[in-house]
Amino acid sequence: MKEKREQKKDYIKHMESKSREELEKNHRKNCGIALMVFVAVTFGAFAFHEISADPSLNIAMLYVLGLFIVARYTDGYIFGMLFAIGSVVSVNYYFTYPVQSLNFTLEGYQVTFVGMLVIAMITSAMTTNMKEQARALAEQEKQLMEAQKEKMRANLLRAVSHDLRTPLTGIIGSSNSYLEMEDTLDNEEKRQLVSHIKEDANWLLSMVENLLSVTRIDNETAQVTKSLEAIDEVVAASVVRFRKRFPDAEVKVSVPDNLIMIMMDAMLIEQVIINILQNAQFHAHSSRPTELVVEETEESVVVRIKDFGRGINTAKLKTIFDGDGYQEGENGKQDSYKGMGIGLSICRTIILAHGGEITASNHGEGAEFRFTLPKEKEE
Amino acid sequence: MTQKVSVLIIEDEKSICDFVSKTLQAHDYKTTAVHSGKEGLAQLTSSLPDIVLLDLGLPDMDGMDIIRKTREWSSIPIIVISARTQEKEKVMALDSGADDYITKPFGTFELLARIRTAIRHNNRMVDSHVNSNRPYSAGGLKIDFEKRLVSVEGKEVHLTRVEYKIVSLLAQNSGKVLTYDSLINQVWGPYADDNNRILRVNMANIRRKLEANPGEPKYIFTELGIGYRMLEDESLA
Repeated sequence: MKEKREQKKDYIKHMESKSREELEKNHRKNCGIALMVFVAVTFGAFAFHEISADPSLNIAMLYVLGLFIVARYTDGYIFGMLFAIGSVVSVNYYFTYPVQSLNFTLEGYQVTFVGMLVIAMITSAMTTNMKEQARALAEQEKQLMEAQKEKMRANLLRAVSHDLRTPLTGIIGSSNSYLEMEDTLDNEEKRQLVSHIKEDANWLLSMVENLLSVTRIDNETAQVTKSLEAIDEVVAASVVRFRKRFPDAEVKVSVPDNLIMIMMDAMLIEQVIINILQNAQFHAHSSRPTELVVEETEESVVVRIKDFGRGINTAKLKTIFDGDGYQEGENGKQDSYKGMGIGLSICRTIILAHGGEITASNHGEGAEFRFTLPKEKEE
Repeated sequence: MTQKVSVLIIEDEKSICDFVSKTLQAHDYKTTAVHSGKEGLAQLTSSLPDIVLLDLGLPDMDGMDIIRKTREWSSIPIIVISARTQEKEKVMALDSGADDYITKPFGTFELLARIRTAIRHNNRMVDSHVNSNRPYSAGGLKIDFEKRLVSVEGKEVHLTRVEYKIVSLLAQNSGKVLTYDSLINQVWGPYADDNNRILRVNMANIRRKLEANPGEPKYIFTELGIGYRMLEDESLA
């Protein structure tokens, strides 16, 4: 406890010294601006003094301009004020009769003095205000971004904890029943319990693989490590792996005759294809084999996965890739377990990281998922 | 009485060890399980097993070192156990001398098939003259190495010289994965371009000549990021 407080104190001290440093730096910068403008303006004034017969008006204007600039580009009031005083003194000293001496008893001099100070004050107040506002705006924007990120993180966390906990509950429940009632269960019942455990464990595995695949995407830049891959090989490998998990699933694959090589992270694209196939397997109740078609266009390849089942609820179509579909539970129908909680949202993340697009639609006899991968030159 | 095949399992996760040992014992293998790399190396040299199952993520040493150390003196088949996402690790293990790999989590059937294949290939290496020219045959695909003839469902298929070389390499190692690099080295020589595009193009052509539907291959399978594996020869399986 004590240590923590100590740490906090240290931290505050550190921050204080940091901000003090910053303040000093700013101070030096402001000083520099004020001095530079002052020198420049005085030079200008001398020049006018040399070339013009009656320069007093121009000289006054020059100093007012300088004052305005200083007040605008320095922080706070102090530099503007100093500049105002400095300019009044130097005008008095150099450019008013008697030249080269100070005389503050001149007629109307107080008015000039006060006028310069007022200009300095108003300008400084204005700029300070402006800067304050800009800073507040930036702060707000930053907070908004943070909030959005936070929301995404919370969504993912909720999806993960939900999607992981449900099958785990099943596994623990089934294995408990088996261990506790081993003697009274008949073989068929035992078989059922174990096959439930297997099913749930497989589901867990696919969830974990999804989450792991996200770690292959760079956190900051949302970029993936791509290499040149043949699309038909990736599709074939995905289908083989999908069939291994669901031996009775039916998929019809067709690829174009020519070889298409695309820059991609093959493992991630495999994950996308498997997720979509799995989604169709669990939800579509397809009456015919799911169709997987690869097509080529001018600037991309298109992969379409078409099922012949009950289609997707139109209200859900828009948000299907958002990864929070599971929490709707419309009509009390909790289709959440084995709802692709995060699976489809991970698909979108992966495809976007490849610079492609992913869409879902209904085609009259079922649902169709479609994603594109842009062709690009080999790096 | 036939001698039981002895399997050394080097795996630190006890539950995996148990499940693998039980499965293999049920299929008439003799198993020894150790939980660290040091024990593994000691067992390897003292008991000379017929095959090694090696987990790459051991607590005390890098699995890769075990492969290299073993290959200095022995050609005991080594099957690497590894997680799915670590393709680079698998390729490295295969290129430093491992015979094959199996991805966690794996099923009984897959494990037994890998072990059988690895042992068979090791035996063939010992008496290579007898076996290397036996024709390959699996699910309708036949390759006669002496006549350099490839046929699918009784119909002869014309392959280019390079294509035939790739197919015969895969067939002679049927059931086993061959990495991109090892294929390129054996077909185009050690100075070939690193870029495996030329291999992909040839593979695409081969698939279109051999497979009824190149999107659903029956004979040659792609292991993403690693290499290719050909359907196991029926007469040997």
